[in-house]
Amino acid sequence: EKWAATRPKLPPTRLAVHHFDATCGVQLGQLWPSVRVAMLSERKYGALLNNFSHNAVLAGLKAQGCIDFIIQPGLEQKSSEESSNVCVKSSDADREQLSLSPNIKCLVFPRSDVTRFKPARPDMNGLLGYYLMDAASLLPCLALDVQEGHTVLDLCAAPGGKTLALLQTQAIRFLCINDSSVSRTARLKRVLHSYVPKAFLTNEKLRITSFDGTKWGEIESNTFDRVLVDVPCTTDRHSVMEDDNNIFSKSRTGERRRLPQLQLELLLAGIQAACPGGEILYSTCALSQNQNLSVVEQAIYQAREKDGIHLQVVDLRPLTRMFRNTFHFAPDLHLGEMVIPHLTANFGPIYMCKLKRLT
Amino acid sequence: LKSTRVSSQDLNSPSGKPVTELSVRSFIDMGFTDSQAEQIYESLSSVGGGVAKHVLPTLTALFVLGLNPSSAHKVLEKCPELYSVKETQLQQRISNLRKIGLVEGSLQRVVVHYPRILTVPLKRVKHVVMFLKEKCLFTSQQVTDIIRDCPAVVLEDLNQLEYKFQYVYFRMGIKQAEMVKCRLFRFSLDEVRCRHTFLERRGQYETPDKKGQTTIVNPKLDSVLNVDQDTFLTHVAQASAEEYDVFKRLVSREWREEELQQGRIEPD
Ligand SMILES: C[S@@+](CC[C@H](N)C(=O)[O-])C[C@H]1O[C@@H](n2cnc3c(N)ncnc32)[C@H](O)[C@@H]1O
Repeated sequence: EKWAATRPKLPPTRLAVHHFDATCGVQLGQLWPSVRVAMLSERKYGALLNNFSHNAVLAGLKAQGCIDFIIQPGLEQKSSEESSNVCVKSSDADREQLSLSPNIKCLVFPRSDVTRFKPARPDMNGLLGYYLMDAASLLPCLALDVQEGHTVLDLCAAPGGKTLALLQTQAIRFLCINDSSVSRTARLKRVLHSYVPKAFLTNEKLRITSFDGTKWGEIESNTFDRVLVDVPCTTDRHSVMEDDNNIFSKSRTGERRRLPQLQLELLLAGIQAACPGGEILYSTCALSQNQNLSVVEQAIYQAREKDGIHLQVVDLRPLTRMFRNTFHFAPDLHLGEMVIPHLTANFGPIYMCKLKRLT
Repeated sequence: LKSTRVSSQDLNSPSGKPVTELSVRSFIDMGFTDSQAEQIYESLSSVGGGVAKHVLPTLTALFVLGLNPSSAHKVLEKCPELYSVKETQLQQRISNLRKIGLVEGSLQRVVVHYPRILTVPLKRVKHVVMFLKEKCLFTSQQVTDIIRDCPAVVLEDLNQLEYKFQYVYFRMGIKQAEMVKCRLFRFSLDEVRCRHTFLERRGQYETPDKKGQTTIVNPKLDSVLNVDQDTFLTHVAQASAEEYDVFKRLVSREWREEELQQGRIEPD
């Protein structure tokens, strides 16, 4: 079998890589080759522990060498040049400032360890012990900072990894779960039923819908304490690895070009849905500025100009300081924070930016 | 010392004395040092009499080839199998190497460096030479250079060899002349693939298109292969050892799984 013969003409994954070479090469500069090789190599997962499951998986995972990166970020990976004491102290301070939910627990294999997780097993009630997801995807959930009694909107929720993390906090009074795709919403429901007891999935506690999220501001404005806007994006890691269902395929060019506009509309809708004083978290799993910083900048501008809503950008640096031993963060972003993939900690990309409604 | 004496045919040692039986003494007379002579003698008695009868022809052949006793001793130490090779075979194999084009000097160096080449059947060597010429389109001179610089190639699995050649030719866009110059065949497929894939995924190596063009300047094969890992990482890849270490573990798992999968799809 000859190499030349097995290579189809520019499959979508190649188109994606070309696109990123052209855009991210400029944006990330020297860091790009490192990010590139990480995205083209096997990713790492984190195991979001399911507090509702009776399977005692924690001890087993710890015995395999896993670490709960949320509980003890300072203890993970004490680097020699850096006194772990100082590290723990500063992250303790950050933790107080952030008041992270103690109920979100996520285990990861340490830096540079490439061990894989086994699939989770059901307990006697059929509930699975953990949910495997990109550990960096938990950062938007942590950053959202859900407090006791909050009403929360998860605007683009399927397949439900972040929803599940939010439910783990057991602090939410009412959770609205939405995703415009009916089939993906169905999948989300299956996920919830594999992880959460029926008693927690009642109409008093949550509502699952399949609306177009961009219209949310018209339906239900000034309502939610917290809004998660985890928008559809170029899903960069998927796009460079899988030809199936790839947004870089020629037939989806239009859809891809329209993404920033859709993202902007979704974020604006999320902003409108939040109550004054409420907080909105925008996130993507894309590297490109067009889908990240630019969308947030425009949303801030348009919210003020069109809706008279004033927003404040919430500093997420305490969060990144706290988790800098687990993730690689892009340096010097002037708006929001971004986890960039790196072979030694192959999570992300995840971009997030938090906004607070002042009016 | 044991005083068993193995009778054998005459041998004119470099010192000029005819040797008629194998004893430590006789080896010393041939020019070996005391300890070399004892070692040879001992390894002989351990391989047994049936084999020992080849020792004098083997030594003769090595001396005729122009090796001095010290080199000959090194050769036998590295490759005791040579004791059991028949004289005619040895002669044929040596003359075949000459026919391949190994000139005096190169021939001796190859034998000293890789004595196993004299244990490889004539047919096999000829087959590999044909393969390199016909499947990989190396010129006769290039084949000579390959055998001289990478003699172990004669024992490599030909499927592996073909795969390695095609990988470097098609995926890396390297022509035969450069492969020879860089002594490609000294490296295993995995070594080559690992460094190349690392660069490729970092965006630092591109497969040339049909016209042989790339949008970036690829590093020279020589700078990728013929350097130690640190140099490769600092000068070519500009990556950390920690990253590369993780990468090596990841791709070897990837490749293992690919092989398994291919095995499942086409079982034969
Ligand atoms: C990045 S995914 C969300 C992942 C999810 N938050 C999780 O953590 O599992 C983006 C989702 O947005 C949904 N989506 C696309 N357009 C939408 C729209 N106009 N309104 C609401 N959801 C939309 C897609 O169906 C997709 O499931």
